[in-house]
Amino acid sequence: MPSNPLKLTLCGISLQNPVIAASGTFGFGHEYAEILDVSRLGGISGKGLTLNGSAGNKGMRVYETPSGMLNSIGLENPGVRHFVTHEADYMRALGPAVIANLGGHCEEDYLEGAHLLNDADIDILELNISCPNVKAGGMAFGMLPETAADITQKVKAVSRHPVMVKLSPNAPDLVAVARACESAGADALSLVNTFLGMAIDVKQKCAVFENVYAGLSGPAILPIALRMVHQVAHAVTIPVVGMGGITSAEDALKFLMAGAVAVQVGTMTFADPKAMLRIIDGLSDYCAQEGLDNLQQIVGIL
Amino acid sequence: MAEIIKNEPIANGIYRMSVFGAPLGRAGQFFMLRVPGALDPLLGRPISICEIDADKGETTFVYQPIGRGTAQFAALLPGQQIEAQGPYGNGFPLKGGRTVLIGGGIGTAPMLQLAKELRKSDPARKIDVFLGFREEAYLEKEFESYADNVTRNIGGYVTNDVDFALDATYYACGPSVMLRAAAKAADEANASLFVSLEKHMACGVGACLGCTCQTEHGRKRVCKDGPVFDYREVRDAI
Repeated sequence: MPSNPLKLTLCGISLQNPVIAASGTFGFGHEYAEILDVSRLGGISGKGLTLNGSAGNKGMRVYETPSGMLNSIGLENPGVRHFVTHEADYMRALGPAVIANLGGHCEEDYLEGAHLLNDADIDILELNISCPNVKAGGMAFGMLPETAADITQKVKAVSRHPVMVKLSPNAPDLVAVARACESAGADALSLVNTFLGMAIDVKQKCAVFENVYAGLSGPAILPIALRMVHQVAHAVTIPVVGMGGITSAEDALKFLMAGAVAVQVGTMTFADPKAMLRIIDGLSDYCAQEGLDNLQQIVGIL
Repeated sequence: MAEIIKNEPIANGIYRMSVFGAPLGRAGQFFMLRVPGALDPLLGRPISICEIDADKGETTFVYQPIGRGTAQFAALLPGQQIEAQGPYGNGFPLKGGRTVLIGGGIGTAPMLQLAKELRKSDPARKIDVFLGFREEAYLEKEFESYADNVTRNIGGYVTNDVDFALDATYYACGPSVMLRAAAKAADEANASLFVSLEKHMACGVGACLGCTCQTEHGRKRVCKDGPVFDYREVRDAI
């Protein structure tokens, strides 16, 4: 039997393909497991966790925009302890690589959360320093190289898991943040989280979201996300996982050619729950058509 | 993927679409409808089941083209395809005995399949239907096939027409102002009332957490844990 041309290794973990469900778009897998064969995915990044959980934001939480959407969920989640005792083993049993996404409001939250996650059977800790929808912490850690490096180094010191730092496209100098995370010991980088955006209800003369600003995702951001992945992948030597508006195998190939070893798909899953399966099939077809032994051969060719 | 059998206006600004090939659901459930392959608008639109013809394998939706997504639906022609993901949500619980159905505006749509299922479950029961519209009535005739009485109200408050003191189960779907009035009346009469809620949602399956609401039993997702709730549970979310 020919070997699987889509397989890859990320942070020492073997993935059957480079298509990962993006954090915040897939819960912990339960909902979509009812609808599709989630065992075919390369990995699942679970809903962003905070130490003590959160009820999330009040008011409007999702709002559609041209070829995309704004969200202001505010990291509604059951907390790290709940994840460790109730969700991690469930995710493991699904089959794909298990990624726990950890956010936080302050340094102590991140470190205690990372410490608790040492008791969970996960493959990768995705360090979320880029959530734009929480008032304290969140994206603030990911805006500057110094703060990003500091929290990365401290979480690395605590965690027994490989650490993949999820970066914010809202950082004034994203490449500098990426380099700083690499120097601080990050095992991989994932980018981009959502772009800070805004919506206004003209009739009511008010901002749509209670937090005023919200995170933009979907196909509308793809060209910018692609440029950022390209820049970062050229600036670091650790693996980069790319995301931002991917809807098709062709989109995924763009991110791989730009330098990402794997991709995450988020918003498109909302529109078409089976989008990731289509993408995986499309990548297989591409390998066959191009005669590639392994899809990784096209990573970073541009 | 489902095939459009019929798609035409039934009142000013109100369309009815029948599709073949969507999995059959039940009253109170909904589908995420989407123009195949569309990236703008990107997301599906949650539209409740208005009627199911199980023999023909057809599901009918009644919708109001008010945004870009629903406007695209209105332009679809018989023979064309539409993505119908679902059925999602819990649906109405079918209670025994006398039932009273209250629909407001486009919220009348899910009440039709409910009336049909209630009638099928008990041919002898009493079903009273109250329909409220701002300007123009629709679906009135269709309700007459299943209901003992159909009362319509144009331009007023439909809940004012309803006697909440009956020994009956009440079901309501409509604008917030109508549901709040129904909840208040149910409180006063200690009536059993189920309401179907509507909220902005991205996924329809409980993953995005865009539609969660505070309930008596913690945070719940309108799409996955609802959209039908006992009104006492979601009093603050109506």
